[in-house]
Amino acid sequence: MRYLLNRIALLALTLLLISIVTFILTNILPGNVATMIMGTRGNPVSIAALEQELGLNDPLVVQYGRWIGGMLQGDWGTSLRFKEPIGSLLGQKMAASGMIVVLSLIIAILSAIPLGVIAAVKQNRWPDTVSSGVALAGISLPDFFWGIVLILLFSRTLGWLPSSGFVSPADDFWLSIKHALLPAIALGLSLMAHLARMTRSAMLEVMSQDFIRVCRAKGLSEGSVILRHALQNAIAPVVTVAGLQLGYLFGSIIVVESLFNYTGMGWLTYQGLLNRDVPLIQATVFIIAAVFMLSNLIVDLIYTVLDPRISFD
Amino acid sequence: MKRRDFIRHSSALTGGALLLGAMPTLGAYAQSGTPTKGGTLIWGHSETTQNLDMHQTGTASTSRLLENIHDAIVTVDSDFNIVPSLAESFDVSEDGLTYTFRLRPNVKFHTGTTLSSADVKYSFERVKDPKTGAVNFEVFNDVAEILTPDDLTVIVKMSQPNAPFLARLAENGAGVIIPDGSGDTQGEHPVGVGPFEFVSREFGNEVELVRFADYWQGPAHLDKIISREVTEPTVRLTGLRTGEMHIINDIPLDRVTELEADSNFQVSKWFPLSWAFLNFNHKRAPFNDARVRLAIDHMIDKEVLVQGALWGQGEVTASPSFPSSASFNKDLSVRPQNFDEARRLLQEAGFGPGELEFVFKVTTNYPWHVEASQIMLEWFREGGLNVSVQQLTWSDWLSQCWVDRDYDVTMMNFFTLWEPDFLYYSLWHSTGAFNYRNVNDPVVDELAQRARVTVDPAERTKIYHELQQRVYDEALDVVLWFRNGTLAAQNNVGGLDKLVHPNGSNLEFRHLWLDT
Repeated sequence: MRYLLNRIALLALTLLLISIVTFILTNILPGNVATMIMGTRGNPVSIAALEQELGLNDPLVVQYGRWIGGMLQGDWGTSLRFKEPIGSLLGQKMAASGMIVVLSLIIAILSAIPLGVIAAVKQNRWPDTVSSGVALAGISLPDFFWGIVLILLFSRTLGWLPSSGFVSPADDFWLSIKHALLPAIALGLSLMAHLARMTRSAMLEVMSQDFIRVCRAKGLSEGSVILRHALQNAIAPVVTVAGLQLGYLFGSIIVVESLFNYTGMGWLTYQGLLNRDVPLIQATVFIIAAVFMLSNLIVDLIYTVLDPRISFD
Repeated sequence: MKRRDFIRHSSALTGGALLLGAMPTLGAYAQSGTPTKGGTLIWGHSETTQNLDMHQTGTASTSRLLENIHDAIVTVDSDFNIVPSLAESFDVSEDGLTYTFRLRPNVKFHTGTTLSSADVKYSFERVKDPKTGAVNFEVFNDVAEILTPDDLTVIVKMSQPNAPFLARLAENGAGVIIPDGSGDTQGEHPVGVGPFEFVSREFGNEVELVRFADYWQGPAHLDKIISREVTEPTVRLTGLRTGEMHIINDIPLDRVTELEADSNFQVSKWFPLSWAFLNFNHKRAPFNDARVRLAIDHMIDKEVLVQGALWGQGEVTASPSFPSSASFNKDLSVRPQNFDEARRLLQEAGFGPGELEFVFKVTTNYPWHVEASQIMLEWFREGGLNVSVQQLTWSDWLSQCWVDRDYDVTMMNFFTLWEPDFLYYSLWHSTGAFNYRNVNDPVVDELAQRARVTVDPAERTKIYHELQQRVYDEALDVVLWFRNGTLAAQNNVGGLDKLVHPNGSNLEFRHLWLDT
């Protein structure tokens, strides 16, 4: 329990530091949201007036204090560029991104573990070569490349899945899954490759241990040896990596969401950056950082469940 | 390397052949057929819609959607005559001080209420009020009083003549009539008298519009429009190819030819969508010297730029006026490339080869500007200039070039405006709102001011021709090209030939239908 409290305190402190760094960095960048709002209608006078109205002239400490004060009361503020409450924007876009991230995690785990197990069991034979080849391709080529290949194959040639756009699950559940599927696969491919390789090496290590020989000697079926005894022991590091990668996935959604015009958190972050919309950037970076750290914490906690020998107190 | 060679060759080959090659207003897609009723049209829209308040919104792309929800008090026909719209007739007193609008009876708002003079008064006063933050508030600067003697009559009294007043009302925004008192909710839920009713927007994702049954010009063919906001051009193109979208606007310039050759789609091009010019900072020496500006003008082969930067999707021009409008000065011809003349002018201004050094700032917001700058860079070197190109994001360009005016040379493009006052006064008058080049030419100032108070159209046109001549002679800026507007649609989309409004920017979806 004390461990957990410590971790949470550390997490809060890190988030605070991140918010300060983000705030300073976005304010150092040239240009500001007032010039973007005014666009070609802007002139020094109208922009100065707008800066005043938006509170951009206040000292940075005051601006930051205003932001953090609102945050502590659960108020994310209003997007300067879009004039929408950031809380509601985050709600919509988090749900959208959450869907592809979770889906890609599921796809990655469900395909990586069998792939890794087969490769380990059939070590140095053709299934191993195929599995390693797939993994290597998944790791070496970037997600946007796979995105284009997926669009060509599943949208253009086969016509099975839509190539772009987001549909809310509340409007049409199946359609929303269809829209999320390609971005999720593109996002999850490299994770899948990583996990498959990890599963393979973990399995190989476990399979060479004495207790596996004992299991076989006891006369257990090969399936039971592999799935119940070897895999269960090999899976802890795989889950760690999967969990750590959850934060990484959230970080790489910007590219994938642009490619599929899937308007989620990545899109929102990009819009914030493009428009120098400081409160929006603050909010999106904060959320992404929080997701990253929370997923790490959760992985650490899951450890204790997967491996009873580990205890933090 | 190869492409540059191609450009060199094509420049030699085409010479002047493309010059004013009479391009039809519409491409080969024009359709005949009987409209069918019903269906949902999916539009792959190139921009994220922002503030939905028609009076406040500054972006042409948001207006492009909103124009389908609203109508203005007057509009223009294809010859840019001001014609009735919500006003069935209008009348200007001889002294240019009183405008009388007679409203069409029984025009319904989406709310069900009937359009009356009170709505017009409310809308005009709302735009005029600086607190509203309307883009075109200055249209009403000279308005002294708005009277509503009865439900269908509006009288606008001016404090001094304002020749462009009617024309400005026909433009985006200023003349749009919204229901009395509806201002506060327009940004979230726009309401007007237009052919389509606003249903909902999922921010950054899509906007849904449905047919308005009581539209005063008769209901539209389509049941519904879903505008999907897809800013990435290649994603739009994929959406069209996979059949997920019926229509997309702004085809990437390098892909137009490929789509045109594909019989599965219709490609619509119109001329022009926008025009571009090279800018000098007149506050910085030596760009305040006409000889230096002219020398630079002489180094640019505009034909090659149209081929190389626009992939042929445009035409050269020396006048920025809408080509079919009266103010377009046909007597101006594009200055041909002439390095000898350029070097002579530079020498005269005191610069030998390699002695003039400057930075050319372009924004990556318009990829064709980046390409154009790279082509021009070669010519500038050949002409003995020492130039470096600096690429800026849109927000950096806005803050450095537009607001702080911190640049030597840059370039920009604007939507083609058929209304000359807005174009010439705001861009070239020394106090103009868009004079980010610090142009300060007394001759231009006098002409722009005189045109503004000249009510006689022929006389006014003459003044604008003179003004363009002055801009050209002094090379205050170098006007480069008109760029085509492009859109592509599935073959079952009917009525494409009527989609683009004569102003070259708005899309009127009420003319479209879907064949089943």
